[in-house]
Amino acid sequence: MTGERMPKREMVLRGYTGLVLAFVLAPLLIVAVNSINPEAYSIFPPKAVSLRWYFHLFTQGQFGFAFKNSLIVAAATTIVSLVLGTLASLALVRYRFLGRDLLRSFFLSPVVIPKIVLGVSLFILLVRLDIYGNLTSLVLAHSVVCMPYVIAVVSASLVSLDRTLEEAAMDLGARPFTIFWKIIMPQISTGLIVAGLFAFIISFDQVETSLFLVRPENNTLPIEMFLYMEKWQDPTIAALSTLLILGTFLLVLSVNLFLKGVDLSKFVGGARGGESAGPPGADR
Amino acid sequence: MDTPQASVVEERYREPFAARAVRRLAHWLLLAPGLFLMLGLFLVSLLVFFSYSVLSTFREGRLVDEPGFGAYVRFFTDSFYYACTLDTLSLAFVVTTVTLLIGFPVAYTIPKLKSDLAKRLVILTIFTPMWVSVVVRTYGWMILLSRQGVVNYVLTQLGLIQEPLRLIFNFTGVTIALVHIYLPFMVFPILSVLVQMNPTLKEAASDLGAGWFRTFLHVTLPLVLPGLAAGTQLVFTLCLGSFVTPALLGGGRVQVLPGLIYRETTAVNWPMSSVASMLLLALALVVVLLFNKVTDKYLVTR
Repeated sequence: MTGERMPKREMVLRGYTGLVLAFVLAPLLIVAVNSINPEAYSIFPPKAVSLRWYFHLFTQGQFGFAFKNSLIVAAATTIVSLVLGTLASLALVRYRFLGRDLLRSFFLSPVVIPKIVLGVSLFILLVRLDIYGNLTSLVLAHSVVCMPYVIAVVSASLVSLDRTLEEAAMDLGARPFTIFWKIIMPQISTGLIVAGLFAFIISFDQVETSLFLVRPENNTLPIEMFLYMEKWQDPTIAALSTLLILGTFLLVLSVNLFLKGVDLSKFVGGARGGESAGPPGADR
Repeated sequence: MDTPQASVVEERYREPFAARAVRRLAHWLLLAPGLFLMLGLFLVSLLVFFSYSVLSTFREGRLVDEPGFGAYVRFFTDSFYYACTLDTLSLAFVVTTVTLLIGFPVAYTIPKLKSDLAKRLVILTIFTPMWVSVVVRTYGWMILLSRQGVVNYVLTQLGLIQEPLRLIFNFTGVTIALVHIYLPFMVFPILSVLVQMNPTLKEAASDLGAGWFRTFLHVTLPLVLPGLAAGTQLVFTLCLGSFVTPALLGGGRVQVLPGLIYRETTAVNWPMSSVASMLLLALALVVVLLFNKVTDKYLVTR
């Protein structure tokens, strides 16, 4: 300890962090404040309090329909990317073969590919194949975007797995499939939940990928909001956003409580596209 | 195959051919479904899309099957496209720099917090907005930064400005919102390196008489560099591809490549959107490769 100077420096750092937290929360809080503002334009501070825009929101049927679409697509994407991503992670972590590193980079590459390029190119391919505009193509497109995150998170939990249990089971004559369900699955279940959450929310939030892939009558929620905001800026969007923010916080909070005691930072390093910042011994 | 147990090796001699084949090919069987999606959908669609840049031409509002390099010539001679590319790069550069300056001290502070609850709360606060739609967050910044928004209100009340500042529908607004959106992606990798850092190294440095600044410069910083590089790379590439925020907050004054691709695609000028997409993709890949090279050269060999 260097004596007196320590606390002062820490205080500055803490104050700075507090400011950054305010910066992070400000746009979310202001959306909630603006949703109870009775005027048709945003003004601060609001002159009165009213729930007018919430009532207006529920007269706008397109948002409810789009919300349902988004839920369906996100749920399906979660299942597809979780299954395909977990299988791929098993191969990438457990086997050594020629081209493994190249394949891993290929699987993780959609993270750094600009989403609009992905969306437009899929749109053109599907138009050429004449299967444009259904939700299945949207699910497949979102799965391409979400799979890298699943692979990163699941690989991180597979790497830190205790191998002796599997070896014991193998010695006792268990078949590979049994080993996977009874031994590997329970150990990576936290990773799977985190990966599933990632996939769900990333899919739910896709704008660029979906923009060209949905027909106007089949919009997802972010697209519907984006198109609405290009035309109007009344607080209807604020009311909707407030509900979405509350929903998101509840989801994240409940998962956080559910995973209480689990060190989430274990998955932190894996979620980006690359190598060096991964958990110790991740892929070298 | 990495199953070196002796018992398994012995057993292999009695194994039926089919079972052996399955095991030999197990990793390909596991990879097949994902690979099918990646090759069939992702790679093929990119190739088809890029082929439009040479295989067809856009003339009088229509797409005709006529090979040529017209789109390339136009893209690289018209100053509008040049300005677009420059705007995209400078936006990514400014946002990445600001994000780094804001994100690093925060990531550095989090492991130092004494109480676990405080740590959890700070981490939750930094990362939860990541789960809120980009459209919603951009909308939040529209309200905050508008003429009658909070920022102008506070600054006027404090007497710092007489006239409201113009903060949206320009470069400033887009930059502020993008810094907010990509901040978690910078804090993430830096924090993950910091929490794995061996605290005894810092203690050793201070035992040997190094002050906090020297310890920071010679012990902490070199160890954190991989995280810094990863965060910078991630934020820069994500920023290159950002579409929603410049479209809504830029008010037509911030022309970036993703917006250009959107408009050209809508106008059925696929050759042009193909050329712009290839350039954008190339920029992203160059950034990734550059960072990987630097990381490998300076950080892994240590």
